[in-house]
Amino acid sequence: MKKQFFGIVAALTVLLATPTMAEIKIGASLPLTGGFSIAGSKHEQGYQLCVDLINEKGGIMGEKVNLIMSDNRSDPATAINQYERFINVDQVDAVFGTFSSRLSFPVANILEKNGFVHPLPAGGALRIYTQGHQKVFYFQPSAAEYVGATLQGILEDLVPADDKPATAAVVAADDFFANAVEAGLLGMEVMDPADGSVVEDLAPGFLVDAGVEIVYSEKWPEEGFNDWLTLANSIKRSGAELIVGLTASAEEAVQITRALKTVQADPKMVYFSQGTQSEYLEGTGESSNSVLVHTSWHPAVPFQGLLAGESFSNQDFVKAFESAYGQAPDEDSAIPFAVCQGIEQAIIGAGSTGNDAMSDWLKARTLDDPVRTILGRFAWDERGLPKDKPFLMSQWNDGELQFVYPTDEFEGVQSMTYPKQGF
Amino acid sequence: MILLIQTLILGIALGGVYALMGSGLSLIFGVMRIVNLAHPSLIMIGAYVAYWPFRLSNIEPMFMLPVAAIILACIGAILYRFVFEREARSAKYSEMTVLLTFALAMVVEGMLGTAFTNTQRITSPNYATEAFFLADIFIPKGQLYASIISIIIISALALFLKYSRLGYAIRATTENREAAELLGVNVNRVGLISFAIGLALAGAAGALVSFIFSFFPSKHWEWIVILMSLVVLGGMGSILGTVIGAFLLSAVAALVGTYFGATWSTLTFFIALFVVLLVRPQGLFGEKPELA
Repeated sequence: MKKQFFGIVAALTVLLATPTMAEIKIGASLPLTGGFSIAGSKHEQGYQLCVDLINEKGGIMGEKVNLIMSDNRSDPATAINQYERFINVDQVDAVFGTFSSRLSFPVANILEKNGFVHPLPAGGALRIYTQGHQKVFYFQPSAAEYVGATLQGILEDLVPADDKPATAAVVAADDFFANAVEAGLLGMEVMDPADGSVVEDLAPGFLVDAGVEIVYSEKWPEEGFNDWLTLANSIKRSGAELIVGLTASAEEAVQITRALKTVQADPKMVYFSQGTQSEYLEGTGESSNSVLVHTSWHPAVPFQGLLAGESFSNQDFVKAFESAYGQAPDEDSAIPFAVCQGIEQAIIGAGSTGNDAMSDWLKARTLDDPVRTILGRFAWDERGLPKDKPFLMSQWNDGELQFVYPTDEFEGVQSMTYPKQGF
Repeated sequence: MILLIQTLILGIALGGVYALMGSGLSLIFGVMRIVNLAHPSLIMIGAYVAYWPFRLSNIEPMFMLPVAAIILACIGAILYRFVFEREARSAKYSEMTVLLTFALAMVVEGMLGTAFTNTQRITSPNYATEAFFLADIFIPKGQLYASIISIIIISALALFLKYSRLGYAIRATTENREAAELLGVNVNRVGLISFAIGLALAGAAGALVSFIFSFFPSKHWEWIVILMSLVVLGGMGSILGTVIGAFLLSAVAALVGTYFGATWSTLTFFIALFVVLLVRPQGLFGEKPELA
């Protein structure tokens, strides 16, 4: 017994005396189960691939990256707890943000309180950036409230003036992100939830600006909604020529597309806020033809980023992703990959994992000296929103997600199909 | 008027699918007093059984319905034998099964997530996005076919329960477990068969659901409230009540969605659950709970 005791003590002494490998700990809480699990799982792949590639190239400044990921079950309270645990128990050096505005909004307060840089892969609602937080950096084009500017641009630049849709039906998930896009399209006031003050008045809204009359608008609840045919029937009966579906997930985009096909709706133009994913094509088939979906990323866009101090293009990412996971990536994996690139560059640029130094370095980025990612260049305004960063508009045609707008920034832009020929 | 008729048709068509989804839950509660919170997650297995043959070989999802039913029945028999049978005589059995089936739902979700990822799935036979048009009214083919099949399956179950020897035993056990046992009914065997039948219904429902709703492993949490509310409205344990509850609630939800907005349609199920529990806890066709 005595012998065993001394044996254990000796083993523990050896273990404790062994020098630990230097590493950079990064925490990420993601919705791997629950309502956001589809996007959350893809975010996990994006973060993991980026960290694996960095570690393969020797880590950041010679230190391996140890990525700690937890499943927050799509629950805001769990996400908050997990970030607190990363900071106080795991003692991480940095964090990657979570998915969705609903989860990012409360998490932003915790990270701000603890002085952590908060790089957001998905959290487009303007309210996140108007709370006065100093270390928030959004890694997608603009805030959701401005998504409609791209749709307005298409109506003005790509649609023949004499055949423009005159009326629109705007249907939206009752979701943080979808509500924000809706606010921009319909020209609503954005309120600060803390004191009810008006953060921004978006009147008259992008659709009115584009000369489109709203003839029907409706919301569906965030979870548990199954009555898509009734909703599609109401849209059809409104006679709207433009259908705007502010879907919060590819699943909703599938359901509403199938329902619109069933009721034989026949609009000139259809735009969804989610639906670039391969699951959308699988669930809708030919009905997806001519459907427009805004996106932050497209495989054909020739963005040049940096990884481990070396040039790393968007096409390098596609190749590495296909090699690692045996399937093509979509924006839900590309965006977190860009977040990881941004944090890597911030650590290298700051020369340390100090969050104040990283934040200062990120804030000092300009359009001429930006963070370079597979989503393009990033420099942020004082709110943490990217400067001069419009959304891309993509369109499904013959099973291919084509990149159609803007037309003058990159090669590879294809002509937009208009009008839509039924579902 | 057309809008009213159209809305009722859509609600009733969806109700047929809900009826089959809920009837297995009701049967299991009726016979075994098991509040099976894992029922929707087991429906999900049936949906995957229909999905993969469709995806890989374009096999019609409805052809997979018997296969899904048999697979789930086998799973049901195994689950009952090794998980639910052991404490069946406990006075707190129903309460225990709530926790047990909650855990089971989590396990099934985890296993499905590991096996098939969290990616959403749906089968797309042509009829799933087609409709019969009668002037300004349309009837969605997918929901119509699913409802007809649901009604056939539930009718067959009702006939089986009413006229077969085993059906007598199941009904006797549902009404009074102790008395049935005293009269020579092997209640454990009846429990096992009922559980297997209940899960076979879940498997069949899963095959039908596969072309109506998108599904992914954690989707079952959204379905449990809907199923519980229609089963409670009809009366826990009453299959007829579940069917009527499904058609009623689905039609009311569609009407609410059309006339008050889609946001309120889902709330219909929650409100129904609360109101029934407050006003008539035994539901439309359930037995009045005995006072201790």
